Amino acid sequence: MTHIVAVRRLLQRAWILAIGAIGLLHAPCAPALPIFARQTGQSCVACHAGGQFPELTPYGRMFKLNGYTFGERTVPLAVMATLDMTKTRVNHDTSGNIISPKDGLPIFDAASIFLAGKITDRIGAFTQFTYSNYDHQGSDGRWIGHWASDNMDFRYVDRIVGDADDLILGTTLHNNPSVQDVWNSSPAWSYPYVSSSTSPVAAPQFLPIMEGALAQQVVGAGGYTYWNRTIYAELSLYSTADGIWSFMSKGSKAGDTNHPQTWLRGQNPYWRLALTHDWGPHSVMLGTFGINAQVYPNDANANPIFTQGVTRYRDIGFDAQYQYLLEPNTITAQARYIRENISDPQNLVYGDSKAANLGSLRLKLSYVYQARYGISLSFFNVTGSRDSVAYPGSANFSPATQGWTPEIFWIPVQNFRFGLQYTHFTKYLGARTNYDGLGRNASDNDTLFVYLWAAYW
Amino acid sequence: MKGVSRWTLLATLLGAASCHDIEHSRRTDDPAVGGRTIALQVCSNCHGANGVSVSPAFPKLAGQQKEYLVNQLMDFRAHRRSDPNAQRYMWGFTHLSDAQIGQLATYFSSRPPPAGGPGDPVLVDNGRAIFRSGVPDRGVPACSACHGAQGEGAGEFPRLAGQHADYIVKQLVVFQHAEQRPRGEVMNAICVKLTAQEMRSVAAFLEASAPRVAIPADLGATETGSAGE
Repeated sequence: MTHIVAVRRLLQRAWILAIGAIGLLHAPCAPALPIFARQTGQSCVACHAGGQFPELTPYGRMFKLNGYTFGERTVPLAVMATLDMTKTRVNHDTSGNIISPKDGLPIFDAASIFLAGKITDRIGAFTQFTYSNYDHQGSDGRWIGHWASDNMDFRYVDRIVGDADDLILGTTLHNNPSVQDVWNSSPAWSYPYVSSSTSPVAAPQFLPIMEGALAQQVVGAGGYTYWNRTIYAELSLYSTADGIWSFMSKGSKAGDTNHPQTWLRGQNPYWRLALTHDWGPHSVMLGTFGINAQVYPNDANANPIFTQGVTRYRDIGFDAQYQYLLEPNTITAQARYIRENISDPQNLVYGDSKAANLGSLRLKLSYVYQARYGISLSFFNVTGSRDSVAYPGSANFSPATQGWTPEIFWIPVQNFRFGLQYTHFTKYLGARTNYDGLGRNASDNDTLFVYLWAAYW
Repeated sequence: MKGVSRWTLLATLLGAASCHDIEHSRRTDDPAVGGRTIALQVCSNCHGANGVSVSPAFPKLAGQQKEYLVNQLMDFRAHRRSDPNAQRYMWGFTHLSDAQIGQLATYFSSRPPPAGGPGDPVLVDNGRAIFRSGVPDRGVPACSACHGAQGEGAGEFPRLAGQHADYIVKQLVVFQHAEQRPRGEVMNAICVKLTAQEMRSVAAFLEASAPRVAIPADLGATETGSAGE
């Protein structure tokens, strides 16, 4: 009976979201990223595979690699918002404490403002600032919102093209390793494209450092080349986004325990190689990338400690992407595996040994019909060495987490997406059952996520 | 300061990379820029540098009739051609000048026409019959009457030989809605009489058709036969 009531309540909330959606549909129809659509005069599907932003088509990749400079300069402003609802299968721990605080409630989750587009014939930018409405709770339990820098990428590009040769040479300045990448198998723009921001158990808790930990913490400068749409090569160097670069890490700072700044030692190299081939409606990429990052520890008050050495993370990733793009069908598949070796000679992060490793696999397959109706399935598997200090939430001190995410979505108009996503965990922090030693099972963290995602002028 | 020197070095390298027979002007929205620059820097992203597109979502332009290309670009610019893909991909090119349109049409029409490829023999045979003789009992005239014996086109009638079959089928469907391509009104009367199977057949035949002398985009001159033979 309580089950039926819960389902009914869920449906009621879904209705509220749907009504919100209808309201949004009356907004001016401009695609995502609306600035780029305005600039090129083209529609979303020109750059986004099956309209499923942020997945890029071959043309979308060329647009980005050419420094966002196609078309004519336009008003460089756009906004984006997400309304969503998270529902956790078992939303209390064995002591009865709530796990996901806004569970089952439709929320206005986040809003972004974009400043982007062509600046000169060779210079273009993509910058995003995001407001998280439910960022964290104050000591009185009240929710506090938070503005912060989001993804940023400034480019200077030249393209030398003749009848038989096509060479793109570019430089990029950005704030998230792989945000500059154009394939959706590399971490920054990979699946899940949107997920719960309020639940602490809706995703794997521990991932290689390439998968988000340095996002909006660092400034990266790099150069790349793409030759004859066949070989892509890039080298970038990352350092802490402080001083004049602090606008790239706005929202994080020393002493802020909710938003600590991550501090890197010196310049940290990142490399990327990709082979691409297009034939007929097919497009394929095989690639590899890596980073070597040295991270200073923060103390309990989120202030950096520069005197105790660093933890070194060395990630090597392999990724692949396949796309079939021909109306009315869009099929896209991405695969990525990252192996991370960690050296922690001072035991700043790990306690049981001075070396550790993590492995992270992510697979995703999507089908979109008429750039309107979509379905996707994703699999993830995180493995790694055990450690009692780094993974105290696991009874066997393991980061290993595995699961599946099926999703269906609907794109009624090109700048608007409504989706239903369910993440089912077959393993969480080292075990399928009783992973925390207190009786919680992996599947208790299963998460239903319903979202409305819209971008406007 | 280390960062500044890196940028200076890269900028110098980029500045030095210039040559006579290559194109690296980026002023693509400037009406004064020549059509070849726009063809290489902009059009090539979908249609290929030589006008031989890889994806069937985008038509091959190589060897296309100049008059046809001018008409289409004029119609895209004026938003007269309103089929869905024209709107999605081509409506942004409102800044092209008459001179640029002429130069673009000259550039692509002078590229070596695309070579045909293999096709399903049954479809190709059926398509050949329709192309050459039409469907007389339904009043469908022979395609070759306007598009040329080899599908090479003439003036405002486009070259069809070597074109992507999927693109041809989709355009035939577009012609069923005359208002989307006003200049294609003559095609409307024909397309409403064609079955989906007939459209696929004639498209398969045309995709497999090659000019008597076809020069594949990247290989130079090569003697090839024609599926039309």
